[in-house]
Amino acid sequence: MDIRRPTPVRAERRPSVPETPQEASCPCSIIRSEGFSLYYGAKAGVKDVTMEIYPCRVTAIIGPSGCGKSTFLRSINRMNDLIPHVRTEGRLMLDGHDVCDKRTNLVSLRQQAGMVFQKPNPFPKSIFDNVAYGPRLQGVRKGSDLQQIVEQGLRAAALWDEVKDDLSKSALALSGGQQQRLCIARALATKPRVLLMDEPCSALDPIATRRIEDLMEQLKTEYTIVIVTHNMQQAARVSEWTAFFCLGELIEYDRTDKIFSNPAHKQTEDYITGRFG
Amino acid sequence: MKLIVRQGLDKVFTVLTGTAVVVLSLVLLVILGPMIVKGTSAVLFHGTVEFRRMQQALFNRGSQGQLAAEVAETKAARQKVYDLIDAFKQGIDTESLKDQAGRIHRQFGQELQDKGIQGEQYTALRSISRDIRTRLEQAFDSRDPNGIQQDLAYVLGFADDPRFRGTAAEGFFRIARQFQKAAGRVDVARRGQYATALAEVEGIVAELLGPRPGSPMPPLVRQQYGATRWEQAQAILHRFSFTEQWVEDQPGRPLIRREVRRREQFAGTDLEPLFDYVPGHLSEMLRPSLTIYWQFLIDDSVESHTFGGVGPELLGTLAITLLGMLFVVPLGVISAAYLVEQAGDNWAVRTIRMCINTLAGVPSIVFGLFGLAFFVLTLLPALGLEPKACVLAASLTLAVLTLPVMIRSSEEAIRAVPQTYKEGAFALGASPFRTFVTVTLPAALPGILTGVILSLSRIAGETAPVLFTGAVAMGRVPHSALEPTRTLSYGSYDMAVGDRIAMMFPHNQYGMVVTLVVLILALNGLAIVLRTRVFKRLKGH
Repeated sequence: MDIRRPTPVRAERRPSVPETPQEASCPCSIIRSEGFSLYYGAKAGVKDVTMEIYPCRVTAIIGPSGCGKSTFLRSINRMNDLIPHVRTEGRLMLDGHDVCDKRTNLVSLRQQAGMVFQKPNPFPKSIFDNVAYGPRLQGVRKGSDLQQIVEQGLRAAALWDEVKDDLSKSALALSGGQQQRLCIARALATKPRVLLMDEPCSALDPIATRRIEDLMEQLKTEYTIVIVTHNMQQAARVSEWTAFFCLGELIEYDRTDKIFSNPAHKQTEDYITGRFG
Repeated sequence: MKLIVRQGLDKVFTVLTGTAVVVLSLVLLVILGPMIVKGTSAVLFHGTVEFRRMQQALFNRGSQGQLAAEVAETKAARQKVYDLIDAFKQGIDTESLKDQAGRIHRQFGQELQDKGIQGEQYTALRSISRDIRTRLEQAFDSRDPNGIQQDLAYVLGFADDPRFRGTAAEGFFRIARQFQKAAGRVDVARRGQYATALAEVEGIVAELLGPRPGSPMPPLVRQQYGATRWEQAQAILHRFSFTEQWVEDQPGRPLIRREVRRREQFAGTDLEPLFDYVPGHLSEMLRPSLTIYWQFLIDDSVESHTFGGVGPELLGTLAITLLGMLFVVPLGVISAAYLVEQAGDNWAVRTIRMCINTLAGVPSIVFGLFGLAFFVLTLLPALGLEPKACVLAASLTLAVLTLPVMIRSSEEAIRAVPQTYKEGAFALGASPFRTFVTVTLPAALPGILTGVILSLSRIAGETAPVLFTGAVAMGRVPHSALEPTRTLSYGSYDMAVGDRIAMMFPHNQYGMVVTLVVLILALNGLAIVLRTRVFKRLKGH
């Protein structure tokens, strides 16, 4: 299923079929949303979203402020649990497991789906301790193992060469762009399958942004990346697939070049061309 | 508003602020300066040979040989004082002369028996001896110079009698001649006044130089030594040179106090030279030298802070403070963590918050009474322990006292940790507890340390809460948390209000207060250094 039809508003909910191991390991999609809705009390944050996200691709989610794109992203690793009175409907599958299930192991879910936030948020600890935080949670204690994981993480985030001499330095002493790459390294150190990025470059200058984007280019060979962005040029530059959200609903989801050259929906076109949003 | 007006106002505010700061520091200096100077004199002062003698005897400090040599040198200078007093005393102190006469009479009778003189000869000699004794006593008691001369002439009439030659009775004639000489110079009519005045002088000399060599050692330690400090010696010297008199200035008005030179009381007598000698040779007699008595901080006190230092008080304060911090810091941080991270916003939590805020303003004496009622009289018996004031109860009371401060500052510190840190930890799969321990708490540490500093000063300095729960004015260093202890705060209070003996030693009183101030400053300094280091580590500078 390479090309999905442009998702109609209030798409018909697909019959829920019991998952089998074969389906879970299906290479076609890694994240599948089936009629997923999220409510803050009575107010809907995400309404009935059905879409699939493909492995080893960069999927961008765009849309005006308050359209629910961040909420949707944060639902994937259940970060919305922190907000009181949140309720979900439908299913959101990661690797064939419903993340909304009460029995879902949050620790392993969040290690599967690493997250990078809008503002770089390294812990006020040393660079080493920042990257080693996740592995330590997983129970890695041995110094040499941690050393190796930290180095791999930092190399993967293209930060190793800049900080290798002083891993005990406080992470807060790094520049903003370095801090964001450190956060990426921190997320990668838990060996996730999916990297969720919530406007990762909005607090960075163009040069740092460029480096993060280059990094995403390298990372997508191994990881599935979902990025929420306000910057449409960025979405066009880095992503293969683009979803356009508006008022909590998925308006259109297609290949990025299609969305940006020939959107199926008027709303999408208005947003992309700047007439709205 | 015009720019120039704005700039002008700005300057005015700057000047006002600067002035305020300067005035505040001056006021602080005026209040604290003298206190610190006086307190420092407990450690840094001019100690006399008496001080070194005391240190040797009570604390076994200093070289014994050197001290002995020094004492010997002062002895010569002091002897002159005693000689002058003795010479004067002979005309005054008739009671001892009477004793002497009685002794001679008995001795003479014994001699006669030993020589085997019996019968009439014995009776006659005994009766003459008795007669001489009676006449001497009469002379000693008399205030009439002519009567005295007649009595003495009668006695001395026997001086050439061969029967008395070479016997104990010669003592009669010796004291008779001495008294004749003394009575010639002293106005015998004023002998009673002289006796009183001399007793006063002797008392002051004992204060200045310590008990006279050869006299029995007084039981009180403070009377066993003279002036141990040079400024103390100066004060005693003033009392030596001047006497206070209450005189009537105007009839019908209250009497006024006036200082009169003491030498006027002894004008024209053998004692007058003493009032030149003592001021002139005081340093010879006491040999002051600059002393640094740092052991003030470790020494036990002797006789309610007459001598010695504040060692037990310092230890007790440290013990109570550290034990109290041990209770208040975990309790405060855990409570704050609950209030910030777990408790929602319902009426129960709002009530708890209100209670905490109110408790922060409750007078400390109320906490003291609470500690007495709850910890001492209820909790200790409930645990099967004796319900008495002890270190444990005191530190628990102080912990309760400072808990509101600790909770409030920890709460602020924990609340100030950016939500993004927590999100970062959650996103890596950490549980809320794990997040708190590994991310929130370390980030909140500088703020929590601020609470520690505030609590520390409060705990170390409070008097009222320990008054009923753990502090005593006297007693040994506690061997366990279940014994009461002395503390600097309570000790200062006790010396200020209760202890009249201690008030004679103001340097020790001020010394204790300054020790408390310095201790609190030092503990705070430590906490501030710690906080700065933690802060630097967090910020990565």
